[in-house]
Order: sequence, then structure tokens, then C-alpha cells
Amino acid sequence: MSSNNPFDATSAFSGGGFMPSQRQPSRFADSTPSPSKGRDSQGLIPVTVKQISEASQSGDEKSNFTINGVDVTNVTVVGMLFDKKVRSFNDIRFHLDDGTGRIECIRWVTENSETRQMDEIDDGTYVRLNGHLQSFQGKRQLVAFSVRPVTNFDEVTFHYIDCIYLHLYNAKLLTQCQGGALTQPQLIESLSNTPVHTTSNGYQTPSFNNFTVDVSPDGLKGFDKLVLNYLQQPSNIEREMGVHLKEISQQLKSPIEKIKDAIEFLEKEGLVYSSIDDYHYKAVEGC
Amino acid sequence: MDTSDPAAFVNGGLLHMHVGQKVRAVIQVIRSDVGSVVGKSTDDIQIIVKGSPPIPRTNYIEVIGVAVNDNSIRAEIWTNFGDTFDAYNYDQLCQLANGWFKHLFL
Repeated sequence: MSSNNPFDATSAFSGGGFMPSQRQPSRFADSTPSPSKGRDSQGLIPVTVKQISEASQSGDEKSNFTINGVDVTNVTVVGMLFDKKVRSFNDIRFHLDDGTGRIECIRWVTENSETRQMDEIDDGTYVRLNGHLQSFQGKRQLVAFSVRPVTNFDEVTFHYIDCIYLHLYNAKLLTQCQGGALTQPQLIESLSNTPVHTTSNGYQTPSFNNFTVDVSPDGLKGFDKLVLNYLQQPSNIEREMGVHLKEISQQLKSPIEKIKDAIEFLEKEGLVYSSIDDYHYKAVEGC
Repeated sequence: MDTSDPAAFVNGGLLHMHVGQKVRAVIQVIRSDVGSVVGKSTDDIQIIVKGSPPIPRTNYIEVIGVAVNDNSIRAEIWTNFGDTFDAYNYDQLCQLANGWFKHLFL
């Protein structure tokens, strides 16, 4: 930033305790947020218009939006451009419809290349829009700093998958899933290889004190989770024919009736399905 | 801002979940009739799409319209999605967008 900026750290605040990062980025038309504001608000967050509509604001209109607990200022969206109106030579307004909702967008053009870019985009064109999310007179809007037509439509699929990925990541499910996947093989291996105290019924009941695999939205009982985790192992996911009930019973050292009960419950929950016949099962993918 | 009229991602198998509602699907045209086309959805199910595709058209077309019944759509918007498109990925997205992540879309 130029030294004329009163909030430049090297001038007004050098040696002082006031952190220049506390300035609100939205007040400055062309400022960039300082790095200490938070990693997540620096990049472009892929979102759907529905997510934007449900984002919360901590205070007044000038405050930041929050999605999944993450500060969101700059977003990237993909959708169809509609109702393009050129209000003046540098103020172009349009709506973006991404199939989950419509949002009003503003594109300020300052250079000829930007004007040409907008001229070439007609109503009904799929575009990738990068912009700043703001609220004005109660309405949420996007101030676009880049609007580019989509040429490879795999980008449309990719964008929504990206939104889902980031949603999962920020909701911490993804990190739990990764952590669970690392500990699963160890636990299953320990069940089959190391001797464990058996109960009077003849099968073991492992403890889950240090085992966090609670990635399904509804809480599963310990044993159901064990069966599900076994089927969710990457090597078992890859097996086209699925896993036979007898194998699950052998691996988990549990009677086949107990396995069948767990499978019945998991099937009802939509977490597993029978593959080649009623004795082979696979886990539903998409953790 | 308006989220009152979303279009659900569907393939042939998911169309029945949204009869009477706005949907979007990517199809490959198998046969053209007068006023409609027979298309193959991303899960290889044949569906009927009422309306006229764009001319010229590419191999893959996205249709946005209203699901008339569990195997036909009355298209309002047709968009050429190119001759190469990853239909498998799109199909997986349809499953996710109608399943665990429906709340991000509808």
C-alpha cells in the first residue's frame, strides 16, 4: 500500500500497539486485507447463492459475513448471467443465477479490457465470477472484480464439488474423516491379530475411547460403526463384488448374526448396500 | 437476492424426486422428434425433454425446466455443454446435491 495511506504500518502505527489489520477491508475500494486478518478470508471461497443467502453477519451491514464459522469476504461463484444493464459507461449491473438462487451483481469497469470483457457476455451465458460480498440497504450483492465466460463446462461441475468440499472442510467433518481413516486400519488390524480379552459370549467388544470416526450425521452404535468402518476401508471400497458377510464376521471376530443385524441397520440408514447378492455388501461412497 | 426458485440437479434416476419442480440435467441427445427430444441422462437413463434443442448443438446439453413426470422434463433453457464433458462426475454431483449436501443447493 502507498505511504499516503494513514493505516500503513510503517507510518502511523510503527511501534504502537494498535494492529493495522483491524481495519475493515470493505471500507477501502481497492485495499487488500492484511494477512493477519485470517487465512480463510484471503482467498476466494467457492459458494452457492443459497450459502450466501444463509450467511450470517456479526454486526451491521459493514461487518463481515460468516459461512460455516469462516469469515467470507471474497467469493467465487459460477452461474448464468441475466438482466445485464449498463447503467453508465463504467457501471454494469446484472443478476447471477446458479440454480440455487439469484443474486444482484455490480461490475465497475475502469479499463477498456474490462469493458470489452463485459461486452462479450450476453444474457444466458455461464460465467465464473470472482467478487466481494457486501450488503447494501439490506440486500446482499456481489461486487465483481472478474467475470469470465465458462468455456469448459466441467468447470460447472467442479465449482459445486468445490463448494461441497469447502463446506465439509470448514464444518470439520473432512478432518475427522481423514483422522478416522488413518486410525481405522490400525484398529481392525489389532482386532484380528492381537489377542484381546473375550467376554463370556465368546466375542470381543472393543472400546471406542480413543477412536473418533463419528462421521455419519446420525450417531451409530459402536458395533455398527465397526462394521461400517471395515467396509469403508479403501481396499474394500475398491472391491467391485463387495465383501461377504462371512468375511466381515471373521475379520471382526463376531458371530454372523450380529453382523447381519448391523448390516440391516446400516442398509436402512443408506450407508451400505448389497452388491452381487444378499451376502455381499459395500459401503456407500462419499464420506 | 432470491432463492425461491432453485433448480435441482437431477439425472434419470433422481427425476422422480422433483416432479412438478424446477430441475436441471445434462443429457446427450439420442433422437429428435417434433417438439421434443429423447436424451440419455448422466446415469444412462432415457428421458424425454420437451422443447427444441439449440442449433447447432453439441454432444452434451444442459436443460433447465420443470419435471413433468418421472421421466420427462419441459425444458425452458437449453445450454450447449460441449462435445466432451465428464458425465460421471456430474452424475456423482447429482447424488451429492440430492443427498447429504442438499442444504447447500435447495
